[in-house]
Amino acid sequence: MSAVQVVGTSKIFNEGSAKQVDAIVEVNLTVESGEFVSLIGPSGCGKSTLLRLIANLLEPTQGVVSVNGKTAAQARLDQDYGMAFQQAGLFDWRTVGKNIELPLELKGWDKTKRAKRAEEMLHLVKLPEFAEMYPWQLSGGMQQRIAIARALAAHPPLLLMDEPFGALDEMTREYMQGELLRICAETSTTVVFVTHSIPEAVYLSNRVVVMSPRPGRIVEIIDVNLGAKRTEDTRAAEGFFRSITAVREALRGTHADHVAATAIRGVEDR
Amino acid sequence: MRAETRIQRIMPPLIFGVAFLLLWEALVKGFNLKPYFLAAPSKIIEQFFKNASRIWEASAVSGTNALVGLIVGTVLGIAMSFVLSRFRFLGELITPLAISLNAIPIFVLVAVLNNMYSITSEIPRRFMVTLVVYFIVLVNVAKGLTQVRSTHIELMHSYAASEFSIMRKVRVPNAVPYLFTALKVAAPASVITAFVSEYFGGLQNGLGSRITNNIATSKNAAAWAYVFGACLLGLVFYTLSIILESVTRKGDKK
Repeated sequence: MSAVQVVGTSKIFNEGSAKQVDAIVEVNLTVESGEFVSLIGPSGCGKSTLLRLIANLLEPTQGVVSVNGKTAAQARLDQDYGMAFQQAGLFDWRTVGKNIELPLELKGWDKTKRAKRAEEMLHLVKLPEFAEMYPWQLSGGMQQRIAIARALAAHPPLLLMDEPFGALDEMTREYMQGELLRICAETSTTVVFVTHSIPEAVYLSNRVVVMSPRPGRIVEIIDVNLGAKRTEDTRAAEGFFRSITAVREALRGTHADHVAATAIRGVEDR
Repeated sequence: MRAETRIQRIMPPLIFGVAFLLLWEALVKGFNLKPYFLAAPSKIIEQFFKNASRIWEASAVSGTNALVGLIVGTVLGIAMSFVLSRFRFLGELITPLAISLNAIPIFVLVAVLNNMYSITSEIPRRFMVTLVVYFIVLVNVAKGLTQVRSTHIELMHSYAASEFSIMRKVRVPNAVPYLFTALKVAAPASVITAFVSEYFGGLQNGLGSRITNNIATSKNAAAWAYVFGACLLGLVFYTLSIILESVTRKGDKK
């Protein structure tokens, strides 16, 4: 069973009005269980929209989205996925432990069970002593690790991430990438990951989905063959650079100015 | 905090305050200013202790009016802000009105209210305080309930949380600091409104009326003593709102 299946899906905002935006058009994408898939593309290519359609935070205008073999809506009701955003989005008025417990509270777990799971999750993200602290006492990277712990607290099979490391510095970012791969391997979680960064997409993913803007569509899906176990050495491997070049070339064709330029040239040539 | 740093922090304003009073005293004595022009601090303090029991009674009257209005206005303001956050279109209707009412000196309404009730009633004053507090609390708490981070709302939707859960776990905790901001403004405002309301007739038992009475009979130092009492009452209300805040708020940034 596929973790995510997107079939013939379009999302059009303000349909029929002057402000109509074709966010994504006719997208087909299948993510298998245990896969790590990144969505990459210039701003406005609809990668965040696609992620929100999978999360059922948006309804598609056309097409079908299924998650874990259910409709996306049912999967959301069953908390079949966890989500992390660019802002860690922790609640300042809750301790770190209580932040992690939030999805479990909403599932109606009892207090002892919640506290036990929160402790496990804190160990998973290697911040075991922080349960009683408040989010603002933590660094940005630590906050994002807590956000990941929260997203995975209910052990969902799928993790959806919208540029989660976008606000972090380069050093922290690389550390977080390693940590994310370790955590997902330990919990066998499937991940759909939106990013702006080519090296990040390549380092993390089994497949990189390259998208183009206006209207948003998938231009190419690139397989990254770097093996299951990735280390800091992976960043210096030849295959890593080869994949980066492949993604970059696929992206080059998608740049809006470039598309416009070719269109004009097309007119002149005729 | 270490003791010395606290002393270091308190000393400068304390020295400034004492120096200010001494300068005032010196000015009155030095230029031989008449008491009806400006009373000396020493005379004011003397009058304050001489009239202590009467100042206390008057403070109790004005303070009770302020407190009743503060509590009723806060409760009503909170209740209305929940209604507004639930039905946004009502907010669009009422918020401009609330803000403009906040901008004009609505104390003057008390003159009208005095006509509606018997002259021996405290109700017009309490109603006035309620009205002032109500709008301060309403505007702030409604903001706290509605201006929540979009990431938080998306996160709650991703958990398929009900509107009630979002209210309980996101909106209400988000609004708590806004409520205390409102109370820090509303507490002194309630005292001021209670005083000023007394200038528009009615019972002559509060601090505000005593101040006018004493000025009318040229007992300037006594009037200042009542002003001093009024300051103390305002400070008590403000301090209460701060204590309440520090007790309730635990997780927020200091």
